[in-house]
Formats: sequence, C-alpha cells, structure tokens
Amino acid sequence: MNKQRIQGFPYYLGINALSDMATRDDRVCVLNIMGGESRQVTPTSHAFSGGNVVFGTAPGKAGSVLKTPAGDIPVYNNVREGLDAGHDFNVGVVYLPPSGVRDGVAELIRVNSGLEKIVIITEKIAVHDAREIRAMAQAKNIDIVGGNCLGVADSWNRVRIGGALGGDHPDESLLKGSVSIFSNSGGFTTTIAQYLATEGWGTTTLISSGKDVYIHYAARDFAHALKNDDRTKAAVLYVEPGGYYEHDVDFGKPTVACVVGRWKSKLTRAVGHAGAMAGSGDKAEDKENWFIEAFGTDGVYTPDNPVVSKKGAVVNNISDIPAALTAVMELNDETPDFPSTGSLALKPWMANDRGLNLPEELALKPVKPSAPYDEQVEALKEHIGAMVARQTMKDKSGASVMDPKSQVTSVHGHSVLDLALEPLEANFALPLVHEIANENGRALLDVAVAAEVNLVGDPILVAADAAREAGNAPNAVMATAAAIVGPNRVERALNCTDILIELFAHSGLQDGSDEDFDTSGITLDEQSRALFLAGPEDKDDPRPEAMLKAVAARGGKSVFLKFLGGLDARLNRDAILAAIALTISWGPLMRKRITKLTAHTLPWYLRLYGVMVGATIPGTHHQSGSLCGIPREERFSEWTMADLCYLAMTGKKPTPEESLPLQILVGLLISNGPGSISAQGAKGAVAADGPQTPDRVQINKAMLGFLSHCGYSHGGNGFEGMAFLLQEFEGKGLTDPTDPNHGIDLKQMARDFAKDYQRAKAEAKELGSEVRALPGVHHPIFKGKPVNHDPRERFIAGFMEKRGDYNIFHAFYRELVQALYDTGASRYVFCVNVDAVIAALLLSLLWKDYQSGALKKHDLENAAFTVFLYGRMIGSAAEIDDHLNRGRNMDTRTPASACGHVV
Amino acid sequence: MQITGLLHGSRLLKHVDFPCSEVLGPGASEDEIQAFLDKHGLVFVKPIFKGAIGKKGKAGLVGMVRDLQSALAEKERLYFAEHKHGNVTAKANGVTFEAGVPAENEVYFSITDDSQFRAPTMTLTHRGGVDIEELGKDEIATVPFDALTGLKAFVVANALTDIGAPKEIISPLVQQLPKLWELMHHYGMTTLELNPIRMRPGKNGRLTPVACDFKCGFDRDDPRVARLGLPDQLFASDISAFEQEVNQLRTHQGQSDVFVINEKGTILAPTFGGGANSLVTEVLGDAAIISSDFGGNPPYEKMKSVASICYKHFLDQTNVLFIIGGKSNNTDILETLRGMGDALREHFATRGPVPLYVVVGRGGPNLVRGFGNLADTLDSLGLPYRFFGFDSAISEVVNYAKDVDLWMRDGGREEIARHLGISAAA
Repeated sequence: MNKQRIQGFPYYLGINALSDMATRDDRVCVLNIMGGESRQVTPTSHAFSGGNVVFGTAPGKAGSVLKTPAGDIPVYNNVREGLDAGHDFNVGVVYLPPSGVRDGVAELIRVNSGLEKIVIITEKIAVHDAREIRAMAQAKNIDIVGGNCLGVADSWNRVRIGGALGGDHPDESLLKGSVSIFSNSGGFTTTIAQYLATEGWGTTTLISSGKDVYIHYAARDFAHALKNDDRTKAAVLYVEPGGYYEHDVDFGKPTVACVVGRWKSKLTRAVGHAGAMAGSGDKAEDKENWFIEAFGTDGVYTPDNPVVSKKGAVVNNISDIPAALTAVMELNDETPDFPSTGSLALKPWMANDRGLNLPEELALKPVKPSAPYDEQVEALKEHIGAMVARQTMKDKSGASVMDPKSQVTSVHGHSVLDLALEPLEANFALPLVHEIANENGRALLDVAVAAEVNLVGDPILVAADAAREAGNAPNAVMATAAAIVGPNRVERALNCTDILIELFAHSGLQDGSDEDFDTSGITLDEQSRALFLAGPEDKDDPRPEAMLKAVAARGGKSVFLKFLGGLDARLNRDAILAAIALTISWGPLMRKRITKLTAHTLPWYLRLYGVMVGATIPGTHHQSGSLCGIPREERFSEWTMADLCYLAMTGKKPTPEESLPLQILVGLLISNGPGSISAQGAKGAVAADGPQTPDRVQINKAMLGFLSHCGYSHGGNGFEGMAFLLQEFEGKGLTDPTDPNHGIDLKQMARDFAKDYQRAKAEAKELGSEVRALPGVHHPIFKGKPVNHDPRERFIAGFMEKRGDYNIFHAFYRELVQALYDTGASRYVFCVNVDAVIAALLLSLLWKDYQSGALKKHDLENAAFTVFLYGRMIGSAAEIDDHLNRGRNMDTRTPASACGHVV
Repeated sequence: MQITGLLHGSRLLKHVDFPCSEVLGPGASEDEIQAFLDKHGLVFVKPIFKGAIGKKGKAGLVGMVRDLQSALAEKERLYFAEHKHGNVTAKANGVTFEAGVPAENEVYFSITDDSQFRAPTMTLTHRGGVDIEELGKDEIATVPFDALTGLKAFVVANALTDIGAPKEIISPLVQQLPKLWELMHHYGMTTLELNPIRMRPGKNGRLTPVACDFKCGFDRDDPRVARLGLPDQLFASDISAFEQEVNQLRTHQGQSDVFVINEKGTILAPTFGGGANSLVTEVLGDAAIISSDFGGNPPYEKMKSVASICYKHFLDQTNVLFIIGGKSNNTDILETLRGMGDALREHFATRGPVPLYVVVGRGGPNLVRGFGNLADTLDSLGLPYRFFGFDSAISEVVNYAKDVDLWMRDGGREEIARHLGISAAA
C-alpha cells in the first residue's frame, strides 16, 4: 500500500502500465483454493507462471495441499494463518461463492498490508456487495479486476493470475506479440487471442474485465496502462452494452473495438452478463458511435465495407477483428508479429450425414485437426459399434415397451402386430440387430438355425427326452436342452466371430452381403486360420457341406462366407455359423445401432434357437440325415423357421396356408413388455451373472431364466381357450374350421352357452361362490364401453378378412360376446381378447389331427404352450441382450425395505 | 425485476419511514373513495403496471379528479390501460387512488450505481416534476458517495446548496433523503427513483417531503430482496413458464440464464459463455428460439435437467439443435455434451423422435471425448450431425447453423423425417 495513486483520475488507480498487471514478481494468494473451479484452474496457472501462488485458503482444510505440476501449494484456514506461516503476497484471487466474496475481499485488505491487487473470479455477486467492495478497495488503494471475470495474463512475462485465460494449455494461446486484449467476455478473451494468431498477431497483456454492473478495472483504466506500456503497439477491446465505461476514452494507440449486443435492446432482463443491460444512451449502437467518433472512421468495419482509420476500427463480429487490426496497423506502418498460424475457415472434425442429400456447401468433409486432437479423433474411430452407458435396468427395458392405451408391445420400435405379419425368421434376428432381416438375411438365418435343430447323437436329445418322459411341461423340456448349450459349446463360433470383426472392422465394408467387396487385403494368420477349419472332431459332421450348399441353393450372399471360402480348406460348422451371424449383424454394427458385444454373442442365440426348437421334437424323430422323415437337404435348402416350428408341433410340413397362422401366432407372442414374468426371469438371470463383466454372462443360462419363469398360468394358459372351444364344439361335427360353409348355427350355440352361463352365474351368486372366468373374453383395460374391442384381436381379424380367411372358432367367439350381452350375462359387450385369437388360430391348425386321433388333448395343450415358447424366446433374447449391454450387476433385486413379511 | 407505483412503493417506503402520499388500492369501495376525496380534495388516479414503465409515456395515463363521479370514470378508463414502451407493451391491471399533495416545490431524487463514477450516485434537483433531460447541468446535482459510509446528511445539504435550491426545502430533505439509501442498499435494489417528491407545508410552516411516485429496480442476484416479502407474481410477467423452469436451476455453479427470443423460432441453441451468447443471438436473429448462457461448468445432472426442460418446451419445432460456445476455460465438454445427449435420448424415448440436424461448435477440456460420446448417442438415434472444433471461426459456425436451418426449411426436415420413419410435422 505504498502504491502511488495515478494522477488525473477521480478515483484510485494504481496500475500504471500493462506490464505491471501480471508480473513474475507478483505473489498470489487464492481464496477458496480447494473449490471445484479453482482446483481445475489454479494448478495450470501456477505452473505456467513459474510457481506464483504462495498459498491458498480453505476453511477447515489447513494442512492440505493443492497438487500442481510445479509443486504443492500449501493451504491454510484463512489469510492470517498463511501470513503467520511466513508467506508474503501482493495479489489476492477470489474464488469464493457470491455471498462470501465481500468478506473475502475485506479479509484480504484488512489482514495484508502488502496487498496491491485483487482479481475476483466469482459471478453473480450482489450489486450491494460490489459497491462495498469498491468502496473498501478505494479506501485502501487496492486495484481490483472483475467480478465475474477470468483474470489476467501476460504473454511476455508468461504469467497468469486468477482464471483460465488460455485454457488448459496457455502456452498454445498466449503467444508473445504486440497486441493487448481487454474483454468483457472471459471466454472470448482467449478466443480473440487465437483469432489474432491466425493473422500473425501475438499478445502482451490480456485482461478479462467481466460484465457486471461494477467493472472494477474498466476501459478508461486500461487505456491509461496501454499508453504507458512500451511493449504494446495496439489494443483489441470486446465490449457489451451497458454502462458508460468506454465513453470519451482516449486509447492513444491503434485500437480495434468489437461491440456486440445490438439485439440486447430487445431484452427486458440480463442474460449471462449482469451488467449488459443498457439504460439510456449506453446501448450497443451508442457505444459503436463513441468508438467511431474516437477513431474517426466512417462506420462499422465489415469485410464488405472495410472502414478503418489510423486510430482504429469498430467491428460487430469477433472474426472480423484480425483483419481489421491488420488493416489499422498497416496504416500505422506496422506488420504482424509472426507468420499466420492457420486459418479460421470451417473445418468439421466429425460428421455423419446419414446418406442425406445435403447441398455441397453444407456437406463439408471432416478434416484432420491439429495435434493432439488428431490422435484423439483417430482413437474414436477405432471403436467399433455402439457405445451404451450402463444404468440400473430393474423393471426397465430398452428393447420392449408396452403402449398403455393399446396394450400393444413394441420390440425395438416394431409393434408385435407388425412383427406377426413378417416371416418368422425375419423376427429371429430382430431382438439382436434391432432391424428386421431382409430376404438375404432370412435365407441365411434359415440355414443357420436349421443346422442346429436335428439333435441326433447329441446328449441334449437324451436329456430332453428324459425330461419329457418325466412329465415335465414343455418349458422345462426346452430348458433341459438349453442348459447344455454352455460356453464350451459356442466358444469356437464366438472366437471366429471376433476374429472376423477385427479383420473387417476398418476395411470400409458396410454391408455383410456385399460379395463384390475386395477382400484381397485381408489375411488370416495361421493361428486364427486353424479356428475356422474343420478338425479331427468334425470329420463325421455332414453339416458344413450341407450348410454351404443350402446357402448357395437359396441364393444367399455373404462376404464372410466368400472370404472363408477363399481359404480353400474344409470349414467347420461354427465358422459357418459365425460368418452367417456376422453377415446379418454387420450393417447395424457399422452403423453403431448395436454394440460389438451383441454382434459377438449372436451365434450363441442362433444355436440356442435351433436347439430349443429341436428339443420340442421327441427323440425318435431325430435321425441321421432326417428329421420327422424330412431329409436334411430339403430342410436346409427350402424350409423356413415357421415350417420347422410347424413340423415340431405337428410332425408334418405345412402348406403356406397352414404356415401363415402359425407365423402370426408366434409373432403376437414375441413380447408383452419388460413387466411380464418371462421378461423378469430373463433379466434377473443376466443381472445375477453380472452384465458389467459381460464375458461372465452365460446366454443359455439367461434363456433358462425366461424358461423357468413361465408356466401354466403365464404362457401355458393358451390351452384354456382351446379346451373351452373343444368343449363347445364337441359333437358338432366340425370337419374343417376354415370352411365358412360349415353349417353349424354359431348364433344358437352362443346363445345356448350364454343362457347356461347366466344360470350358473346366478346360482353361484346364491351360494356366494364365483363362476369361472371365460377364457378369451374380456380384458381389464378394454372394457366399460357399450361394445369393447381388444386392438390386437381387431388387427388380426382385419388381416384375416382382407385375405378372405375364415376361422370358425374366432367367429364363434364374436357371437359369444354378443350373446352374453343379449342374455344379460354381461353388462356390456365384452371384447374378444388376444388369447381367444391365439386359441382359435392354433386349434384350427390342429383340428384335423385332433379329430383323426393323431393328436390327443395333452398334445394340444403342449402345442399351445410350445407356440408361446417359440414366440417368447425371441422377445426374451431381446431382453437378455438389452440387459447384458445396459444393466448393472444384480440390478434387478428388490431392496429389503420394499419387501414385507406375513405370518 | 422492477416495481413502479405507490401501491407497493408506499409499503417499501414504510420500511424506512419515508413520508409517502396516501394511497388507496384498486379494491377501494365507493365510500372509501368518497372519504378519500373528502380528506384530500385532489386525487390522482393511476393505472397499475407490472415492471418498468417509461415515465414520459405515462402522461395521458394519469387522471386528476375532485369528485367521485370523475374518479369512477377515470378508474374505468385506466383500469386496463395499455401502454407501449420501447419493446414492451404493458397492460395495466387495476388503478390506485393517490392523494394529491399541495406543494410549491417538487423534487426529483434518484440513486443508481453510476458507471461514470463507479459508485452509488444520487441525482437530485429541486426542479422536479419536469423531464430531467430538459434541465441544465447547473440545476441538477449528480453526486457519487461512498457505499460503506452511505448517503450522509451533509452530502445532501451540499448538493442542494450547489444547485441553489430554496432554503426552506434543504433541512427537511437533509433529514429524510438519507433513509432512502438504507432502503436501497439493504434490500437489494439497484435503482431507486422518486419523482416527484412534493414538499407539503405542515403546521408552523415546516415542509415535509412526500413521495408522490415510486420506481425501483431489484438485483436478481441479491438475496436481500427476500427481506421485503414481496409476492413472486409481482415479477411474474417478466418471464415465461419455460424461463421460470430453467431459472429454478440457477446456482453459482454454472449459469442457467435463458430468454425466449422467438417462440416460433427453429434453431434451438444452448450456448456457453456470455460472449458466445451475444454473438450467437445477434447472428441467428429470429431464427433462434432462445438466447442462453449455460456456461460456468455445470455438473452433468444440472446440464441434463436444463437440456430436458429446453427440449420439453421447444424440441418439437426445432430444425437445428445447435450447441455452441468458444474454447471453454473450465466447462468440461464431456460432461456437458453427455448431459445434453442423454437428455435427448430420454426425450426421444418418452416423447418420440424429432427430425433434427445437430451442429456443434466447441473447444475445451475433454473436447474429443465429448464429441465421441455425443456422436455415439446421435448415431444410435439415427440423427445427422457435424461437429466443429475451436479452430473454426465461431461466427462461421453460427452462419453454418443458419444455413442448415434454411435447408431444413426447404425440404431437409422432410428428408430426415423419412429416414427416421416419422412424420416431419413440428
């Protein structure tokens, strides 16, 4: 405080020249040095400045240190403690929260008689406090810079005090030169320095003044120091509206003033810069005029109208600053400090136009940024597939969602109603690649799954039969089979997949079916090659040849199969499975729709599908080379998934007319949202293995989770509807359920039943008991209106009608709900629900065989359950993959506090 | 945040015991008005506006009455008076009845933080009641004073003497005016203006300064304003529901300043930094929906919340989602881009996808990691994008965003919608 006050100012000003603002002699104390922002910024400032922070304060943290590249900075509880420990400083930096700033300033001033300058970083200081801060500093002859600023820096002295001017790497932006920057915007201080460098101008002193109502170190003060600094030849100002700070100031040296904020006249409140609200006479346009007058220019400088004078120029756009400055300096016979460091032209670093038709001037190609960013961007490109953040996935699904109004579930954006109309194999890959397979994909999938269905000679078959004989329900039988398909059974296929991914990931291949793709540059090393080739254990396996032949017969295209074909050696079936799976997942993987993990596990799912379907076929039908009497070649080359499922259920090959209803059935059953018990089981299984270490999650075990979590109530209840229909149609002489000319009076049947039901209801009421619920009618959501509809049933009905297909059981149900109402058994017309549709479709499929005795009631029941399993395995695969990618270990558990106890 | 008029002004003045002319509110009954007229003889009827209203414009919007009939007629005329002031058209809601104060002297008084002195500054003249701009410099006292010691009596006395004010008004003003500094400084005001103060003769000829109008502005950043217990809806017209929602997230850790520029705009531009905010808002003009500053290193959760609110209100109509700032000094680019990306993903999951083009211009810590994270999110959502680093002129990036918006308006939006399999309608 032995500072001389500068004459000619009505208030105290101590800084005489810019070179005094941030010097190597300045010793700094940082208040709240351990706060979030300071912790990030102060170490860089300290190191850049050669270690200028002598200590910091943080109440309660005395004894700790702030680590910096230039050594540790000691921390004390308050300023007095630091001074008592023997430290000296002349500059305070304030990082305190707004309510604490005033008292922090008071502490600095009162406790340290050697104090000369304070830099206040904090924003949103109350004007009340700003007034008092100013008064205190003025009374004691202290210079203050700020509030709401980013501090000061000096490129010659290599010093930075306060905030993060120059960013993380001040050496990059603080280049020694001849221009001083004074800016109301902290961020733009650094930006302007960078812009200047592109025209070859370096900097001397940079000052971020802030833009609060009180600017403690303002333009007039800057102008004085500018004039007295020999190093500085010119100045750049960045100015916002509000306040008369820049009015009538003589800068004395060439100056470019960037005035921004004409639009702020429209505001009724400040945004960001509290002081940038103009009163009267200090709007942006007013300030422009002050500078225009001071410089004597003809207006505002723009590239189209480059008006400058020897004294300076006014711009509205910061990117005009460099050119304006060069022009002004030319008039002053001054040249830039160094050669230009590059341009500011548009250089996209990353882009993805998604194949859109952008005009040329918008479709700018990404360029390589300067080091070190170029390496970083490259590293991003290395990453294959989507990146998914993990979160708790209890009762949450990214794969399925049920629309609460329509009760229709969608899987990866596709409603099950739409899926029901797609060929079955198209749906098998959906849960995993998030897209419905195209024709090529379907052809390949059919081959891949078909190759897994015949289990002759495999212990799986023995186990499945044993389970069947023991009277287990279909899901337990399937589970027995799935349990055996553990990691060792898929290891080779998964490894092949990984190798292929690595080989092709950066090759530019976008479409797995692109057989024209040039694979000449891709080679397998010896070790990997061995993995793909058939070994001694495969010598009796007919499948590799059969699969390849089948793919060719179906016209299937796969760049991976073609590539492997080029190995000129016998492939094993895991290699073929891997190649097929990757063909389907390649596009979504490259487009980052799916993760690498999903692509990696796809072969496991395909193998499981095949095995699970095969397990539903009793052992006797699995013969070498034929399944249910159908030869291998025929199945591999011609049959679809739906055909196989039909075969599994009936032992016969379906006609297209028979195949379609099965396809619809299975599609409808794919998913009922993540809340269904089957989904909960699948998710729980994944959570229990721990998805955060995905290698430990055994996909087949997760399928067991789904399989164990369905049963006669959930999934197996489709039979109830069938049983009901069987009862009603007993002895009615029905031969063909699809023939509309059946001659049966459905209306009468319905009425009779309704009357009986009505009576049974009345009786039960007398006895105080309940009458059984009718399967296939009514729904807790679709009710209450005079006539009710289940949208899913309506959808199927509409589809069948368009095709002219008739189903007597469905028709009967329609009569039934009307009759129930007519007889007064129901208050309004119930809806025919989707379970009725399922029962009707399935029974119609199996009717003839049932009538002939080929199928028993027990078989029908099994069929109903099995159809559910075929559909739901697809939805479960979706949930498993989803939870595997997104979930956290054990996230499905319910905390004890949410559980109750009953006695 | 501003208040005009004596309805609330009289309450505030009471806090420091400054004499004020008597006021009846809009709910006064005819009997009360009659009694009021009986007591005071001359009554002014003034419309009640929210916020700041230009003093000049109010001419014509003030009624002077001496009887009940006129009072009621003026009440009807002024109750919902509309007044255009600058960019704002204000609509009154109610009237006050204010006692006329007979006086020979009218005084103008105000305190503001004057940037020319960088100190609280009193402006005072005994030639009140006329437009202050029309007075000569020697008739107005403009006196800065020390904020710590406050407005002292002698400062007022010296000022009045310097401008040649009549002797009889000096002493009463010296007694009362310093109280106004107490009101202003301790209750979070940034400006306070009483025009006019009328010098009412009392018993034995002593004059009492009586405030006959009131205008003040408050500092949003000063918690002291809460001491006054003013109802929130007093300032509610200032901000829209959207702005209110975002402002609730205001802490000193990361700004969340927003202002709706054009409710029908098509570029949603979350901006970082006060400087960037100025530039972006100016260049985008009416294409911009909001003007914002989300800088100051907001943590992930806050950034996500702010983004969610913006999307909720404006994403449906947005063509270009434009995330822009300079080279950040401490804002973590990964955290902020991650927050905005995750909020976008959630928005799509709950409200359905929107055909957007995403443009980013940014620099700062963790820049490339942030780019990578956002790119992955946009890839999974199927949205097109282009990211610029800090080595592209920020104004050029803003121009680019504008050009993309034009392309969107000219069929680009439909094209993106088709790719996403959704409707293009906003």
